[in-house]
Amino acid sequence: MGVKQITYKEALEEIYRGLSDEEFQRGLRIGVGNAEGKFLKILEAHPELRELAALVEDAKKKVIANLEHYIDMAMESLRKVHAKPYFAHTAEEAREIVLKIVGRGKTIVFSKSMVAEEIGLQHFLEESGNEVWETDTGEFLIRLAGSKPMHTTAPAIHLSRQKAIELLRKKLGIKLPDNAMHEEIVGAIRRFLREKFAKADIGISGGNALAADTGSIVLVENEGNIRLVTGYPPVHIAVISVEKLFPSLQIALAAAIVQAAWAGLYPPTYLNVISGPSSTSDIERKRVYGAHGPQEVHVVLVDNGRVAASKHPVLSGQLKCIKCGRCQWECPVWQQTANLWGGPVYGGPMGMGWTAITLGIKEAAELSMLCLGCGRCDEVCPVHVPLSSIIHWLKQQYTGEGEKE
Amino acid sequence: MVLDARDVISMIKSNMEEKGLPLPIDKSVIYEWSKGLDLPKSGDYLLYTGGLYQLLPYIESLVNQLEKVEKSKAGGLALRFAKKVMKIVDVSKLVSKPDKEVKEYADKVLKSITILLKEAGISFYYDPELDGYSGALLYDMGLVKSFKRHAENVYRLLNEKGVKRVITIDPHTTHMLRSVYPKVVPGYNLEVKSYLELLAERTDSLRFRGGSAGPVVIHDPCLYARFENVLEEPRKLLSAAGYEVREPRRSGKLTYCCGGPVESLAPTLSKKIASNRIEELKEYASTVATLCPICFANLHRVAPSNVRVVDISILLVERLETHGS
Ligand code: SF4
Repeated sequence: MGVKQITYKEALEEIYRGLSDEEFQRGLRIGVGNAEGKFLKILEAHPELRELAALVEDAKKKVIANLEHYIDMAMESLRKVHAKPYFAHTAEEAREIVLKIVGRGKTIVFSKSMVAEEIGLQHFLEESGNEVWETDTGEFLIRLAGSKPMHTTAPAIHLSRQKAIELLRKKLGIKLPDNAMHEEIVGAIRRFLREKFAKADIGISGGNALAADTGSIVLVENEGNIRLVTGYPPVHIAVISVEKLFPSLQIALAAAIVQAAWAGLYPPTYLNVISGPSSTSDIERKRVYGAHGPQEVHVVLVDNGRVAASKHPVLSGQLKCIKCGRCQWECPVWQQTANLWGGPVYGGPMGMGWTAITLGIKEAAELSMLCLGCGRCDEVCPVHVPLSSIIHWLKQQYTGEGEKE
Repeated sequence: MVLDARDVISMIKSNMEEKGLPLPIDKSVIYEWSKGLDLPKSGDYLLYTGGLYQLLPYIESLVNQLEKVEKSKAGGLALRFAKKVMKIVDVSKLVSKPDKEVKEYADKVLKSITILLKEAGISFYYDPELDGYSGALLYDMGLVKSFKRHAENVYRLLNEKGVKRVITIDPHTTHMLRSVYPKVVPGYNLEVKSYLELLAERTDSLRFRGGSAGPVVIHDPCLYARFENVLEEPRKLLSAAGYEVREPRRSGKLTYCCGGPVESLAPTLSKKIASNRIEELKEYASTVATLCPICFANLHRVAPSNVRVVDISILLVERLETHGS
């Protein structure tokens, strides 16, 4: 379940449908136009961010070279802060672990998570008899549209204002005028979701980084939904892929900041650090878990191909990725296709490597043939993921002329 | 109907094996342009054109045909049929009629380059027997074993003839011969310079007419900008020739691809990318300077009639005291 296989021809056919879909193209053009150029301004104003990115890259290399060690360390640290750690080898295992914690008939609020998308978690929980609400505005809209996230940090990049109005009216019966402006739409979504937050039994988040030394989950955001998802319901489940591990909390914070900056969101509005469940010891110094925030924090570490990739001479390079999505914004093919190109979950330049790791080399190889090899992605990646080399290696797998895996 | 990458790849591969060229055309296409130009037969540098400019008119008609196949309902079938035709009748309908206008243009670029080299006093020679294709397309498409075989053949021939230094004229050939061959050809030892680098070292020897030649917007090719660090040279040369060089928003290290690399796999997508780029470039000037035959072909294909897409060599020769018009 979850992901589907893909072939070159299917992918290209889907891309061509996207190219001739005028609404999709218009949405994408406006979105890319608004986003491009923002990045350089941030870096011009804050050159120190490049130094931070270099520290993050070094830490990433260290973790990838010894991934299993850091997984063990993180599990131990999580236990120390009274969080419950789990390790899932596969997507299926991860889904089952979460279902066991959740049960059935619950209301769940989600904050956008690529790894949850990767393992097909939302669908799975819904099918298992739960009410699931995505709370990130973009993700909320694309779920209503029944489409896939079209960018790592801007999933609804292809949807126009008109489309958003139409979706809210049709799917949720929300009353909005034809000419409702952006503020009105966001207000309507906010009102709708407030009620869901209040009645949610469980909040499920991803994690931008996880500090192996302290067991702290770091989450960066602008909307404020993550604070509610992780702070309001009595139970918080964080689903985090293992490449998000960092040796220390200090560098995990740096990684979240770098991710936000390269995604064009600097300074980030909120930076959340979660080290276990909420607690108080204000009454007779007796520690009680579950104060205003959750009583339980569960952390599901997801492997799904990453540990094996950490030992792979080519694919290990992709594990450095902090999923800022910058390479997508800059890619000439992505600017035409968004995530219609790159794989069922991830898309664009970073999508090739991630698809290879989490779905299969064969599938990623089919998609790689449409890469221009222009190297623009390499130029902008904050942590120097060798994107075009990874994609070139995938092309060799497609033609059957490369070194075998 | 989309094209099947495997069909296109096997077409290129079999042509390379048979002809040493990615298209089913005669090798003479590579050196015909030099006839009557009285090029030097000895010198310090061998002029190795790599054949991309010469292939341009054929690529142009192939891409046009592929686009038609893509737009037709029975694309896959039609291409398979076309492949058969290409093998049976020496040069198929797909490429037998090189685009005439593009052919004249390519000849003009090649001639312009030799004029510039002579004017700058660079000691070079041309040997039709030694010229050929670098195999860039094989490499780009991940056909690395075929590429390695081809590269070894190219180098063997050059080495046998004692070639030590070569001048390249396009970014693809420059990148292959300078950065990729050393990784795959054992014992490789060639000094490779782009003609733009050599000319830029001797800008003073080029006698350009005085006065302003008007604005041009520069389109950096990805390989020169991001892989070979040929960035300052074209700017220096264009400025010396009197042009006002304008930088588009996406230039230098962050230059934007012309869409060329996927032109034979997904022509419609390629064209979209080229249109995206030309839209941007034309905001800066009505003359677009290209430094690569593939960039020229792709941008030229989509440029509106009031925008002139033109190779830097032609722009430079137009400003020479001795040749300018
Ligand atoms: S590959 Fe680099 S630029 Fe692309 S999403 Fe990952 S970190 Fe960002």
